[in-house]
Amino acid sequence: MDKRHSLVSNSALEHTIDKILNQTEKNILSNIQSALSESQKTLDNAIPKLEQEYDKVISDGKKEADKIEKQIVGSSDLEARNKQLLALEEAIDKVFTKAIDQISNMAHSGDYSNLIKTLLDESTKILGTTKVIIYTNSKDKNVVQSLLSKYPGAEISSETIDCLGGITVKSKEGAMKFDNTLDARIQRLKPLIRKEIATKFGVGN
Amino acid sequence: MTAKGGVQYSKIAEIKGPLVVVDDVENAAFDELVEIETKEGERRLGKVLEVGNGKAIVQVFEGTTGLSISGTSAKFVGKLMEMPVSKEVLGRVFDGLGRPKDGLPDPIADKFIDINGEPMNPEQREYPKDFIQTGVSVIDGMITLVRGQKLPIFSGSGMSHNILAAQIARQANVVGTKDDFAVVFAAIGVQYSEAEYFRRSLEESGALKRSVLFLNTADDPAIERIITPRVALTVAEYLAFDLGMHVLVILTDMTNYAEALREISAAREEVPGRKGYPGYLYTDLSTIYERAGKLNGRKGSVTQVPILSMPSDDITHPIPDLTGYITEGQVVLGRDLFRQGVYPPINILMSLSRLMKDGIGAGSTREDHSEVSNQVYDAYSRAQEVRALAGIVGKAGLTEIDLKYMDVGDVFEKEFLTQATDENRTIEETLNLLWKIVSKLPKNEITKIKDKYVDQYYQEN
Repeated sequence: MDKRHSLVSNSALEHTIDKILNQTEKNILSNIQSALSESQKTLDNAIPKLEQEYDKVISDGKKEADKIEKQIVGSSDLEARNKQLLALEEAIDKVFTKAIDQISNMAHSGDYSNLIKTLLDESTKILGTTKVIIYTNSKDKNVVQSLLSKYPGAEISSETIDCLGGITVKSKEGAMKFDNTLDARIQRLKPLIRKEIATKFGVGN
Repeated sequence: MTAKGGVQYSKIAEIKGPLVVVDDVENAAFDELVEIETKEGERRLGKVLEVGNGKAIVQVFEGTTGLSISGTSAKFVGKLMEMPVSKEVLGRVFDGLGRPKDGLPDPIADKFIDINGEPMNPEQREYPKDFIQTGVSVIDGMITLVRGQKLPIFSGSGMSHNILAAQIARQANVVGTKDDFAVVFAAIGVQYSEAEYFRRSLEESGALKRSVLFLNTADDPAIERIITPRVALTVAEYLAFDLGMHVLVILTDMTNYAEALREISAAREEVPGRKGYPGYLYTDLSTIYERAGKLNGRKGSVTQVPILSMPSDDITHPIPDLTGYITEGQVVLGRDLFRQGVYPPINILMSLSRLMKDGIGAGSTREDHSEVSNQVYDAYSRAQEVRALAGIVGKAGLTEIDLKYMDVGDVFEKEFLTQATDENRTIEETLNLLWKIVSKLPKNEITKIKDKYVDQYYQEN
């Protein structure tokens, strides 16, 4: 009796174990299935995000490349332009030096007397009086002296000044002075002369 | 320009602050340029402020330190102060008086232009309506700058206005057109380190090529500051109206300009106005700000972004107050945001671009720009109210919708407002960020945007 009972209970146990095993297998399979579909879903969701991220990396990289390109092009353009400006200025300076040499070596005769007269007229007109003291360099002293009679009250100073030519006029009470030397006139017109020279070199209009 | 020079007067009656009074002067003209020569032969520039009764009052730009009554002479040059201009000024660095500061020679001038400019004929002015992209989201998205506008930045001492100014100068551009764009940058009374920062920042970004810099540092004579914005605007007008470029002029710091004006006014013993500034401060500022604009039939434009630091952050101070009357809106930097480390610390609720509505929308930025910007402004304003409420009742006492508005405030400040100093955002990126903020709200809270735009741009969470 005991033996029979033992056989029956063994088969029931086996049946229960089988049932549990089946159930567990089903559960595991279903879990695997849902995990698979879950991971598939996550993967599907990740693709657009990844694509977005990829696009962002590409566009950021492009922006950075554009920035670097701008920096390189900008600074090399400027460097080239600045070198050109310095070279042009050097050439202009050479032209100025040569022109000033020629002016200082030219003969102070003939038409030069008319130039001094024009400068004297202009200076006395600007100061509003002919009662002035005139300063000039040693080369022009005689030219000025010869014109002095045309300006009543004007005197020539015994002091000479260091200049290319022309005159400096001072009112007798000493309050007003007008510099009409060739040096001063060249200095005043320098920006225009520079432009003229640059144009001859094919720079500017 | 002629070969004729000016008369040199040696009777100096008085030297008073930045002014020199010359006696026995005949034929001097108001605003005429004057060359002051010291006993040692040093030359300084000045201009005539007043003439009459045989006297001329001369304002010396480089200061009167070291000048004495005997031995100093004043040469009245016979012309107004002029700035030599040509296309070659682009990429150059000048001092506050327009003299080269970059070791290169004077520019070969196409023209010599009176620095006071010519007043624009109001009838010839064209209404500004074209967008300028600064690459700074909060400006492009919510305080849009348009070509020909004058939009000041009101800041406070120590705040990041100069970093913002440099960023705008580097990044600003006109979109949708092949027209040339240039930046004229005038630094008025800034520290040497700031001046160097501006120069280096433009140089390293490659933007110097399309820029002109005028640098007047804090140790330069204060009187020079009167001239700096004027020479800068003279160059800007030439680039805009002679060469057809769109020019953005950044003037920083206009408070230093007004201080210099006060110094001269005090030296002239004029009756002071508010806070000691001269009564004509408004008129004087208008002669600078009104040089912005566009002209009918001319291709270029002059846009101005003057920056001024408000003493004690006081927006009612005469300088921001009078500036606000003349300009077309304002960008206000907020001390609270600055303390939180937000850059750029722009207080959007106090800022406004009066011409924005005409410079945005279909054809210039995007059709939804105006509406999404209004919605964000509204939401951020509500977020500020909710934050104040949370300060009293605590976060736990807030409703669900209140919490969403708080979230909007945070996203606005952390993602939209906050931007790296070298981050150049396109208008599309800016508008997408605005939509990201709007999308934090439920659709039924979106009341300022048409449904079709909500359907198109709303980002479902």
